Amino acid sequence: MIRSRPGSRLLTILVAGLLAIGGWQVWEGSWIYAKAGLAQFLLQRAWSLALAGEAMPKPWPWADTWPVARLRMQHRSVDLIVLAGASGRTLAFGPGHVTSSALPGQEGTMVLTGHRDTHFRFLRDVHPNDQLDLTASDGTTLHYRIIEQRVMDSRRESISTGQGPQELVLVTCFPFDAIQAGGPLRYVVRAERALDHDHS
Amino acid sequence: MLTDRFGSLRQRARTSAARLTLWAFFLSLALGSPFPATSCAEPGEPLHTGIVPTMGLNEVTEGTFMFRTDQAGRYTPAPILKTDVHIAVTGTIARATVRQEFTNPSRKKGNWLEGVYVFPLPETAAVDHLRMKIGERIIEGRIKERAEAKTVYDQAKREGKRTGLVEQERPNLFTTSIANIGPGEHVTIELEYQDTVRYEHDQFQLRFPMAVGPRYIPGAPVIVEGQGPRGSGTSPDTDRVPDASRITPPIQSPEDGAINPLSLSLSLNPGVPLAKVESPFHPIISIQDQDGGYQISLRKDAVPADRDFLLIWHPAPRTEPMATVFTEQKDGATYAMLMLVPPTQHNEKAPRIPRDLTFIIDRSGSMAGASIEQAKGSLASALSRLTTQDRFNIIQFNHTVRSLFPIPQPVTTTAMQQAIRYTEQLTADGGTEILPALRQALKSPQDSARLQQIILITDGQVGNEEELFELLHQRVGSRRLFTIGIGSTPNSHLMRKAAESGRGTFTYIGNVNEVKEKLDGLFKKLEHPVLNNITIDAAGWSGLEQFPTTITDLYEGEPILLALKADSLPSQSVLHGQIGTTPWSLPVSFNGATAHGGLSVYWARQKISALMDETYKGGAQEAIRKAVLDVALAHHLISRYTSLVAVDVTPARPADSPAAERDHTTDPARAQDLTALANLPRTATDGQVHILMGAAALLLSCLLWQFRRAVV
Repeated sequence: MIRSRPGSRLLTILVAGLLAIGGWQVWEGSWIYAKAGLAQFLLQRAWSLALAGEAMPKPWPWADTWPVARLRMQHRSVDLIVLAGASGRTLAFGPGHVTSSALPGQEGTMVLTGHRDTHFRFLRDVHPNDQLDLTASDGTTLHYRIIEQRVMDSRRESISTGQGPQELVLVTCFPFDAIQAGGPLRYVVRAERALDHDHS
Repeated sequence: MLTDRFGSLRQRARTSAARLTLWAFFLSLALGSPFPATSCAEPGEPLHTGIVPTMGLNEVTEGTFMFRTDQAGRYTPAPILKTDVHIAVTGTIARATVRQEFTNPSRKKGNWLEGVYVFPLPETAAVDHLRMKIGERIIEGRIKERAEAKTVYDQAKREGKRTGLVEQERPNLFTTSIANIGPGEHVTIELEYQDTVRYEHDQFQLRFPMAVGPRYIPGAPVIVEGQGPRGSGTSPDTDRVPDASRITPPIQSPEDGAINPLSLSLSLNPGVPLAKVESPFHPIISIQDQDGGYQISLRKDAVPADRDFLLIWHPAPRTEPMATVFTEQKDGATYAMLMLVPPTQHNEKAPRIPRDLTFIIDRSGSMAGASIEQAKGSLASALSRLTTQDRFNIIQFNHTVRSLFPIPQPVTTTAMQQAIRYTEQLTADGGTEILPALRQALKSPQDSARLQQIILITDGQVGNEEELFELLHQRVGSRRLFTIGIGSTPNSHLMRKAAESGRGTFTYIGNVNEVKEKLDGLFKKLEHPVLNNITIDAAGWSGLEQFPTTITDLYEGEPILLALKADSLPSQSVLHGQIGTTPWSLPVSFNGATAHGGLSVYWARQKISALMDETYKGGAQEAIRKAVLDVALAHHLISRYTSLVAVDVTPARPADSPAAERDHTTDPARAQDLTALANLPRTATDGQVHILMGAAALLLSCLLWQFRRAVV
């Protein structure tokens, strides 16, 4: 019996459809990670322009953001270019600096946000007293020491950005392994400026 | 990285164990019970340490005094005993005096607390006086340079004195830290702030925050233990003493009959004849003075409802614009406020001026979502209200500029259809370059017989400030520029300044869901200009300083305010302007004007804001700082460079008794944890979900394929 039954044709279409959907979904998902990884390479060029003194260098011509700082963590392979603004579009490419917070070297709190499953994934493994290095666009490197990690509910609390000592606050979504995005909890890592007595 | 992921997925899919797992996952998705890890939606228990109800500064809806807890950013409200409010309204200036009494409910000896007083101010208000009363002593706050104020506060706190430090960290949240409040002690805080009354839909509106939170009732679990020094460990039950009522005599529990801890009185000098005064939520008594003023108070039995106090006054109907002058003598100078109120009724006889309307709309990527959709909606409705006399154009920009027409075109059916299609096709993508778009808009020829309005809608940072101002300075001419900033990034100062140099207004829309509402309001307002090219005849004035320096046009639904300072005022002056193209003038008498308070403060705030704008134009920082300091110190204003500090001279706390703040760091500003960053961005991607869904679909297709082979 060579003639295929109508049921098997339906199955073929179903299989083809599922293959297409599956391929598309995997592509969509991988693209998010690929973009997060690749953009950081493209940003390096814009960052070197920023270091050379160019104001607001755009990493690609249609970008509406630019690198403002570089965040590094010794002993871990953390090396991230921080972008201006913390909109969803910016965060796809790198951690974002919340515009209303302080800039590196300014008085007050500087707030950086990043995706918990890409750039800021490393936050789940940091400990108090770990050192974070932040290079401002004028080339100076500031050292920060982690003093607090906590979970906050973004519906009820918010983060201070008022005047005061220089602090660095890193914010990402919590819990780290939740499947769905968009929950109200945030993981907040607070670091205070360490005195620059050392060599850099 | 990509191939990695694919490879590993394929491998896993081959092993049957992995198949089973993925099957289980897929089934669970199909059954509508997503993975257990979706707990991102609900807060975990660890957030609540302690039994005591705590709150963040953002939740404050009325003046509240709070003690710190061991959780950073969380506070417990202190018992409020009494609130007295008096508000004096002069024209559109409201000066409020708020007096509130609080107590430290702790019974425990040596429990000295540091608290934070929070008062949610209206967006446009600023505090300029602070008095603290402890027992019979009154301590008046003094304006000092910011750093100096903090030094004074820190030092006094170390020495065990009662102090208060006022800083304006955010425009709409006023906070005072108060150190060293003894157990059971009462603290009275008196503050004065000045605000501007809203004028909307031909009515004036004044709001006072007094939504009633959970008030203190003796016998409720006492608050102090939550934030006492760590390990003090007394349970709240012990503190819930039977004689709690003894320590808080002014309060009665609700069962004993209503006693209103809040009293509110108002004196209203509207400056225009009124048709009606009303308070929609609270019963009031209103008595009219001989000179057109009103004395208003809450009725005795008025219990504050669960909403803000709102007073609305309606001007009597008029068809002509009206000017009112208020004056104040202070320190040898005369301050005046000139208020030009638009007619309440549309004057049908007034000639309608043909308009040239140019919309410049930002379609950069960041506008994606609600911003662009709502802007499109209000653009469409604004277009539909144009008349055949009018001309219009739409310019859209991201990093490139596109324009519907080269210059504004008359309203015709074809042009309209084109415009509607053009608007519908707007999609948000790309970067933000404002200058070329503005340059394009300013290319059209000027025509003084028409009202040429340019409306710029953006959510981006405006860079190249100097170029922008140079362009406006050279090219704006008789055109009017209205700027609209959406979201959190716009450089408000710059955009306000740009609008000012184009004799228009700046509208800030913080919430993207309000874009349509706010834009519709603005577009409607722009349809009915009442007066343009307004000037004031300054002959006979000496040492005149006027803010704003150029007077904007008068539109229906929004009065114009002019703040003036001079060594002496003439008895009379004249306002000039144009209704359409017809000249118009109105004599203004300064003689009959009665004296009122708050005008000098209003003038000083306008001056400071003008000076602060200079910094954005690249003025010399130090010179500006000095000029701002001069004005702020003379007029007792909190500004970016000044703080208000109140210090008692007598030590109140025995030096060996530690302040409860001990747990926290010594820097009050640090512990203050001021909440400037609400609405944290979303910081998770859908990547994982996509990949898992995709893998499940691929797996299912494999299985189906095998099933098919088996069947065939």
